[in-house]
Amino acid sequence: MENIAEYLKAERSQEWRNEIRKTMKTKLRLEKVRVEMSEEDPNIRNTNNIEVNTGLSVEEAVLEAQRCIDCPTPTCMTGCPVGINIPKFIKKIEKEDFLGAAAVLKDTNGLPAVCGRVCPQEKQCEAQCFYTIKLNKPPVAIGHLERFAADYEQNSGQIAIPDVAESNKIKLGIVGSGPAGLAAAGDLAKFGYDVTVFEALHEIGGVLKYGIPEFRLPNDVVDVEIESLKQMGVKFRTNFIVGKTASFEDLKKDGYQAFFVGSGAGLPRFMNIPGENFNGIFSSNEYLTRVNLMNAADPEYDTPVHSGDYVAVIGGGNTAMDSVRTAKRLGAKRSMIIYRRSEAEMPARVEEVKHAKEEGIEFMNLHNPLEYYANDNGMVKSMKVQKMELGEPDSSGRRRPIPIEGSEFILEVDTVVVSVGVSPNPIVPAALPKLEITDWGTIVVDKDTMQSTTIPEIFAGGDIVRGGATVILAMGDGRKAAAGMHKYIQEKIKAN
Amino acid sequence: MADLTTKYLGLSLRNPIVIGSSGLTDNVEKLVELEKNGAAAVVLKSLFEEQILLEADHKMKQAEKNDLIYSDYSETFDYIDTHIKEKELNNYIELIKEAKKQIDIPVIASINAVTTSEWTGFAKQIEDAGADALELNIFVMPFSFNKDCNENEDTYYSVLRKVKEAVNIPVAVKISPYFANLGKVITKLEENGADAIVMFNKFSSPDIDINKQKLIHADVLSKPSDIFNSLRWISLSANRVKVDLAASTGIHDGEAVIKQLLAGATVTQVVSTIFSNGPQKVNEMLNFMHDWMDEKGHNYVDQFRGNLSSSASDNPETFERVQFMKYYSEIG
Repeated sequence: MENIAEYLKAERSQEWRNEIRKTMKTKLRLEKVRVEMSEEDPNIRNTNNIEVNTGLSVEEAVLEAQRCIDCPTPTCMTGCPVGINIPKFIKKIEKEDFLGAAAVLKDTNGLPAVCGRVCPQEKQCEAQCFYTIKLNKPPVAIGHLERFAADYEQNSGQIAIPDVAESNKIKLGIVGSGPAGLAAAGDLAKFGYDVTVFEALHEIGGVLKYGIPEFRLPNDVVDVEIESLKQMGVKFRTNFIVGKTASFEDLKKDGYQAFFVGSGAGLPRFMNIPGENFNGIFSSNEYLTRVNLMNAADPEYDTPVHSGDYVAVIGGGNTAMDSVRTAKRLGAKRSMIIYRRSEAEMPARVEEVKHAKEEGIEFMNLHNPLEYYANDNGMVKSMKVQKMELGEPDSSGRRRPIPIEGSEFILEVDTVVVSVGVSPNPIVPAALPKLEITDWGTIVVDKDTMQSTTIPEIFAGGDIVRGGATVILAMGDGRKAAAGMHKYIQEKIKAN
Repeated sequence: MADLTTKYLGLSLRNPIVIGSSGLTDNVEKLVELEKNGAAAVVLKSLFEEQILLEADHKMKQAEKNDLIYSDYSETFDYIDTHIKEKELNNYIELIKEAKKQIDIPVIASINAVTTSEWTGFAKQIEDAGADALELNIFVMPFSFNKDCNENEDTYYSVLRKVKEAVNIPVAVKISPYFANLGKVITKLEENGADAIVMFNKFSSPDIDINKQKLIHADVLSKPSDIFNSLRWISLSANRVKVDLAASTGIHDGEAVIKQLLAGATVTQVVSTIFSNGPQKVNEMLNFMHDWMDEKGHNYVDQFRGNLSSSASDNPETFERVQFMKYYSEIG
């Protein structure tokens, strides 16, 4: 920690930082009002897939960057899971060195354009900003600035491809092309390894593509990051399920010396209530994957999704918000969130809830489904819903929902999306019986190296280790694992 | 040899000794052993809503201790109690299915219903899994400064009605003795569709350790003298209601079984004595029954069942008297 403090102090003392701080008195910086990012009209955007947030202009970004007072002890960084040098990239923006700002981001974060869009900054860096903790004022818009710098670089045509060490021809496998796998692949490629990413689906990007809708994270943004990795020499094999298409043993025979498992948490959970198997009731994974990856919204396609006029989404997290807003865009007359606690307990980002409300999503908070009913064709036609009230907090600190007896009523629905969480993908644990796993089905790893506690050549990170986390945490794991794998391989070479 | 066969909940039992819902009936190996030793039916260990909530809290704490598991703002952990419940219910359904495969005696599932809504759906799954009957273990704490008796009692009727609407298998209701008028409650349970009443639930009781000056749990197992409470109420109810009556608590040997049958019980439920003496105790109790019936010249159980119930007894006041005046007046 001391080293980091020394490093930050040295960075902050650089001439250009001193100069930029001097350009404006701190008092003036503190008086500035947070620049709000403009958004597409809710009544237009809820009929198409255009990105909701339009991004900051150059002028807006510089203005917002001026609010950052470049604290000697940047508390914001303590809230960042990958330790981005936040004041440095913001001051680069203020200096109008936008490509420099992007380079600072990329030092520790391989997907800044993604994180700038989907990270819960209000719970991470921005929650620790000086404005938040000392002044009780809106924090510096760190997330918006991150997105600005990353987008600027993407649009400039001058995307910096990180330097890659000379190839050592050592083959390493990455299982899964989500944020954890991509982050690990990038770092391992920089070390000079021959990296292949195996992806089960036909598209690269994992949850960034199948899970997060285009109106929140355009696929183009992800593709640019993937292209950078390709240019660094990372190979991708799609439609390849490690553990099914080929076993780990097959791959080892093929020369792979170690693996990073970032296979995510793609196994949906349901509530086990009567009627949950009727047609028209989906997991959010299936619903979003069909729409996001399989063109299911297009009735001409051979794998259409049923999305009706009266859509109920069960849950209060970001996936629930993505699903319900997707339903609205597919033309639902009523798109409803059914959540058993109140808005205050919702795990979803505040911004996503706000956007959903603007777009006409109905929130039936303090309601819980009890049973589904179907028509003669087995299609869901209605559901029994019960009202809830909040009791004492449970061990999560959230107030426990308690059913109100006799409050049940029938709600007409023709599509239901269940979004109450996920389980880790079971394929890799099933393929490797010696792998130590937790009660939750997550892989047990050393938290510093992300190495499996039972199979030394296996490393893991992201949702398969955490059970369901954020993009930035997954990326942090991927990077940590890459360092762990590098050390493991180098020690193996030395031992031989 | 005397015929011990008995009808309970419309099911044909080979004798009137049923293993009550407890740790004795939480896995198939134990059930097989109980069947081998003569048990007529088993009531599976009850699923307690409270236990599921406690398990969810425990899981949450474990997750928070694990540096890597992400529990904040996670949809999965937001619904952790739902997921734990799903897992527990699935395990229970598996237990029923496996029990039905491996034993031939009737399998009675048991649920502890604190609230009505969520359990009725589960009752249907229990039926679909093959349970022969369902025992509803309902308990509303009869201590409130705000609610009156009717409100508490209505919960019992409401849970029962909803479960009966959901399933076609017979439903027994296990109750506590804590009612202002047990006779009326039993009648109303019958009106609301109960096929049997199990008297009574055995609760864990608080005790006090005076040395450590703290609350502790009293012994959870019943004692033979605990039989007298259910004996009284079985006797008072027998032949006056149409529902089957299962006697429970304090039935530790063959003699106790016979007493309950004479008082009018359809079957007896045993637990504590099996915990103390092992499954072979059932066999011993059955042998005692055979010997006694042979000795008394009874060929089958209905010949003597209810002969000493309140309605059939020459001295019904014995069961109704609660004061000790006569007893004391006769002493000395």
